[in-house]
Amino acid sequence: MKRSVRAFAGLGALAAVALLATGCSSSANTAATTDKKLNIAFVMGAESDPFFQAMKVGAEEEAKAQGVNLIWQGDPKNYSPETQIPIVDTVLAGKPDGLVLIPTDPTALQASADKAIAQGIAVANVDTHVNDLSKIVTFITGDNKDGGAKAADALAAKIGYKDGSKYQVVVGLTSATATTNVARLEGFKAQVAAKYPGIEIKDVAYSESNPEKAATNVNNWLTKYPNLNGIFAIDGTNASGAASALEAKKLTGKVALVGYDAYPDNVAKVKSGIFTALIAQVPAEEARQAIKALVEYIKTGKTSIAHEVVIPNFTIDANTTDADLAKYTYVAN
Amino acid sequence: MTDSNQLVAKVRGLVSNQASILLGVLAVLTIVFTALEPKFFSIATANNILTDWGSVVLIAVGQTFVVISGGIDLSVGAIIGLSGVVSAYFMANILGKTSATPADQAYGPLLLGALVSVAVGAFVGLINAVLINKARIVPFIATLATMGAALGLSVIFSSGMPISGPNDFNLIGALDYNWNPFSVAVIIVALVVAVTGLFLHKSRFGLYTYAIGSNAFAARAAGINVERHITKIYVLSGALSGLAGIYVYMRLGSGSPSSGTGRELDAIAAVVIGGASLMGGIGRMWGTVLGTLILFTVQSGLIMIGVAPDWKKVVVAILIAAAVAAQTLQNKNGRR
Amino acid sequence: MAGEVIYEVKNVSKRYGSVVALDGASLKLHAGEVIGLVGDNGAGKSTLVKVLSGAHKPDGGQIFLDGAERSWDSPRDALEAGIETLYQDSGLAPHLTVSQNVFLGRERVKKGILGWFGFLAKKDMEHEAHRNLEEVGIAVPASNRSVSQLSGGQRQAVAIGRSVAWARKVIILDEPTNHLGARQAGEVLQIIKAAKKKGLGVIFISHTLPHVLEVTDRIVVLRLGRIVKDAPTSEFDGDTLVGTITGTIQTIKVEGD
Ligand SMILES: Nc1ncnc2c1ncn2[C@@H]1O[C@H](COP(=O)(O)OP(=O)(O)OP(=O)(O)O)[C@@H](O)[C@H]1O
Ligand SMILES: [Mg+2]
Repeated sequence: MKRSVRAFAGLGALAAVALLATGCSSSANTAATTDKKLNIAFVMGAESDPFFQAMKVGAEEEAKAQGVNLIWQGDPKNYSPETQIPIVDTVLAGKPDGLVLIPTDPTALQASADKAIAQGIAVANVDTHVNDLSKIVTFITGDNKDGGAKAADALAAKIGYKDGSKYQVVVGLTSATATTNVARLEGFKAQVAAKYPGIEIKDVAYSESNPEKAATNVNNWLTKYPNLNGIFAIDGTNASGAASALEAKKLTGKVALVGYDAYPDNVAKVKSGIFTALIAQVPAEEARQAIKALVEYIKTGKTSIAHEVVIPNFTIDANTTDADLAKYTYVAN
Repeated sequence: MTDSNQLVAKVRGLVSNQASILLGVLAVLTIVFTALEPKFFSIATANNILTDWGSVVLIAVGQTFVVISGGIDLSVGAIIGLSGVVSAYFMANILGKTSATPADQAYGPLLLGALVSVAVGAFVGLINAVLINKARIVPFIATLATMGAALGLSVIFSSGMPISGPNDFNLIGALDYNWNPFSVAVIIVALVVAVTGLFLHKSRFGLYTYAIGSNAFAARAAGINVERHITKIYVLSGALSGLAGIYVYMRLGSGSPSSGTGRELDAIAAVVIGGASLMGGIGRMWGTVLGTLILFTVQSGLIMIGVAPDWKKVVVAILIAAAVAAQTLQNKNGRR
Repeated sequence: MAGEVIYEVKNVSKRYGSVVALDGASLKLHAGEVIGLVGDNGAGKSTLVKVLSGAHKPDGGQIFLDGAERSWDSPRDALEAGIETLYQDSGLAPHLTVSQNVFLGRERVKKGILGWFGFLAKKDMEHEAHRNLEEVGIAVPASNRSVSQLSGGQRQAVAIGRSVAWARKVIILDEPTNHLGARQAGEVLQIIKAAKKKGLGVIFISHTLPHVLEVTDRIVVLRLGRIVKDAPTSEFDGDTLVGTITGTIQTIKVEGD
């Protein structure tokens, strides 16, 4: 048993060495001014989110293509400014040449962005942005409102929407405040109001990032609304939970289900008919463009990429070609 | 006269009995929710509640042992995620079974997956025990650390995405949506809970758990190997969390790192509502079982009546406060 | 009148950080002998008890039981060797019942497969705990009552009863008459005499000097972790005992046999 203590001490020592090593590498890089390999820091929201995993793949590819060092950082789990701000501070202490920041809060992270800019570091925003975009090189995001509208179209198509009939749908969210959730719901509601007035959005509920809780919400809705026509599961977590709830109650295909995020797992379920459709974002592309813009900007003082770029979402359904599936399914390394 | 006295005594006896208070709370909740939404009173709702109950009661049972022994285990939720991801990976990539595997060929892989899941949980429990016994780290910090580590590992393992594998959703669905709200999985969970309950209340293992939580010095002086027993308790809690991990896997048809997010708080809430004391020495299995049931009755009820889910937190907070107040009152009256 | 030396410590020391709680203490206990261990608060009595009972490992010194050198890794080792200890305070688990406390660490299990799984023979233990306590001469509360519901004196009685019922060689009682009324304290003294008669060695710690003078054969005085006097009880009276404890009477160390 003494051994295990030593093993732990060993682990601790290893961790310390690893920390030192990363510290050294970054300082070595800043010191090596002659050979000019750029350091691009990338601070994202939460490592555990597949969305950011997919983004990482794009970021790594682009960093390699551009011949720059990528410093990928972010909280392992929490999408929150409390955990993100210290991470940004640590990254800035390493004096990178550029920073791609996904601010978890537009106001709270403003100071961090300003600090970076004051140090002469080029800053880009991806997915979400800080309040003041004037000194940000570029802001690249998926169009979440458009995604919500596309979800409404897919649901309406599946339930065979006819004017004059009444339909019931529900929406599973992660939380009341997640900005992407809010934008998608807005887009969804706007499209329903404009094109499908017979669809009534009966209820929304929150999964708190836990797919099992998402399943619980759907279970209870299915009991409360025996004639439910459709479910809009607004993110990957809700998509997983809703799909499994329908499977357990043997209602797949009977209740239309439009999910979000092209996890490989869920893409397979489009083919098997559990999902009516999936709305896919393009996180890898967002990361690629952001890094490209930063490198150009650092080298030449300007960039060919627009100051604000909106990349539309993509609807994956049973008719999607294999080529598109390969393109839009999130991959991890 | 004497009749009414006897009645009063009987009522008093009932009220002092934790289980009957909890049953009363459950009855009141059911009546209120049914009044607000008649569809609440249904087999389908019972199935919804029991399905939720199945995963959390397992970690709450482990937590009951831990709390009675005077400790706390914050790693249980993260273990659900980690064990689910690892066993899904095992079934999908090592056994080579996917979600396309026919349901009737899923049982063998699921059983092996369950063993892997329980082993992963027990291993994390063992690490908790080593940190507590050997490194002398208080349980709150030790299990907070393993919670973070387990979560990180499950993200690394899965790249943050759900890993799907073989499943038979019939195991998690009600046996009969019109008449029988139980599922095969819930019945298995109930059996596990019953057996662990017997061990808590009738066996030496349970007695030592109470003794250590009541007075660790006295337990040691009586010749109990306190460290070894603490190890067993955390391994048990980890193993039960691993079992919950495969339960949630079966519910979702996939292992996902976030599938246990926040569950440690549900488990602790259930145990406290069930009458256990975070100071150790006090707690009953029935309390935990009913506490968990109350938690999910509240959750289902609030969704059914369409109240914002944030109210669940408020209602649960009130229930916890009531449970703790009841305990303090009982202690004042010298009853424990 | 006393028999063989059964329990002996030579030159044991124990420090807590910079506090020297025991400094080279030596002690011999014979079968059928009652030793009184006295000293001011903080003199090191409880520390010596914990060394004797295996709760603490001494920093130095030797322990002999029946002439053979022993070393206790845990209280279990000492218990198994027949040494019972009543600790000053905190000897019982308040949330357990009387019988659970009496049998703690020595539970009786059911017969057959259930026993193999550690299922307890609850009723057996309740009956037997009751009988044991009665035999010891203690007015026992019901076996199935939780100790937290007992009065301080009743708890003390249960703790003493447990030690006496299980002891095979040595009983160590650290302030057993604490919390007790005059009558109950008298009962405890009777219990000590009965144990002595059975041939057990008893170490009795108390601040109530008349009790010490009444039941002991020999008195050992500790001051600041050192044994300053070890002599037959007949050599003391109330005044000389107080003087020795406080140090107003000069002492030379006396060999104890
Ligand atoms: N766990 C401990 N940690 C640090 N110091 C301790 C500890 N236990 C006892 N001591 C110190 O060791 C010395 C001896 O204490 P001990 O309890 O043996 O005295 P005692 O003779 O039993 O006193 P009392 O009559 O008050 O019970 C005291 O100075 C005490 O403060
Ligand atoms: Mg003392």
